[in-house]
Amino acid sequence: MPNEEEKEIIELVIARLQTLPEGREISIGSAGDFTKEELIQHVQSQDEIGRKMVAVEMDFLRSLKEGVFYDANDILGDET
Amino acid sequence: MTQTIFLVTRPKYDYTTRYISTWAEKMVEWSREKGHFVLDLEGKRACKKEFESIIESKRPSLIFLNGHGNDSVVTGQDGEILVEAGKNNRMLGGAIVYALSCRSVKVLGAISVQQGTRAYIGYEEDFIFMYTSEVRTRPVEDKIAALFLEPSNQVVLSLLKGHNARDSQTNAKKAFMRTIQKLLNSQTSKEDTTTVRYLLWDMKNLGYRGDAEAAI
Repeated sequence: MPNEEEKEIIELVIARLQTLPEGREISIGSAGDFTKEELIQHVQSQDEIGRKMVAVEMDFLRSLKEGVFYDANDILGDET
Repeated sequence: MTQTIFLVTRPKYDYTTRYISTWAEKMVEWSREKGHFVLDLEGKRACKKEFESIIESKRPSLIFLNGHGNDSVVTGQDGEILVEAGKNNRMLGGAIVYALSCRSVKVLGAISVQQGTRAYIGYEEDFIFMYTSEVRTRPVEDKIAALFLEPSNQVVLSLLKGHNARDSQTNAKKAFMRTIQKLLNSQTSKEDTTTVRYLLWDMKNLGYRGDAEAAI
């Protein structure tokens, strides 16, 4: 049973997945290809796919907070 | 320019493998134009028997594996295991490998470089990409999938241009980041911006093991 914080994270991830456009699918390796509705179901089920989607979303939000996109020049640097 | 013996596996049996293999074909075509000797195991030819046979007879110096996988394996057509850590990974010895396959750098890559593979570039986690349902039977037309698969191809392109493993990985990460930055500008549609989270995931999880200076 998820605790309060986990429930909030799940709701947040579902809200973010709702923004995925119609007519697109997400390929997650050998796990398969999923529509946004299917991904949302997996997140609600908290199965392996659902946990993966939570990990992806939380990684993105952390990266926003850490300013990864503003520090992009550290990655882009000089052309090699 | 030295001619490279370049082996590519391109299974095609579900949407994911069709997409990655169709985009890998661009590297097959490019490398042939540049005069490299390309061994293209497409579709049913991406089987263990042919894979092992060609490696033994031709000793490719660059191997581009496309297919499903996990920490320890990369598969070919219909999910048949082509190479597995601790079983037949020694046949990758002497080569530089790029695996567009989920998670294989973690165990297969690590063990392979301990046992003779010069460098193994791949993904620490699942490679995730978005595609457009309407054109899924024509992957080459899919501009959304291109956002993911063109940066991935940069690994191979860089290696074929003579860059080492570390720089080839870096060039691909830069390609991912350039794509992300373009998508984050105000003129991009909200729909296309949703790809950024998955591009970032793939960029961050691209890694390598082995000799950073390894080059063809």
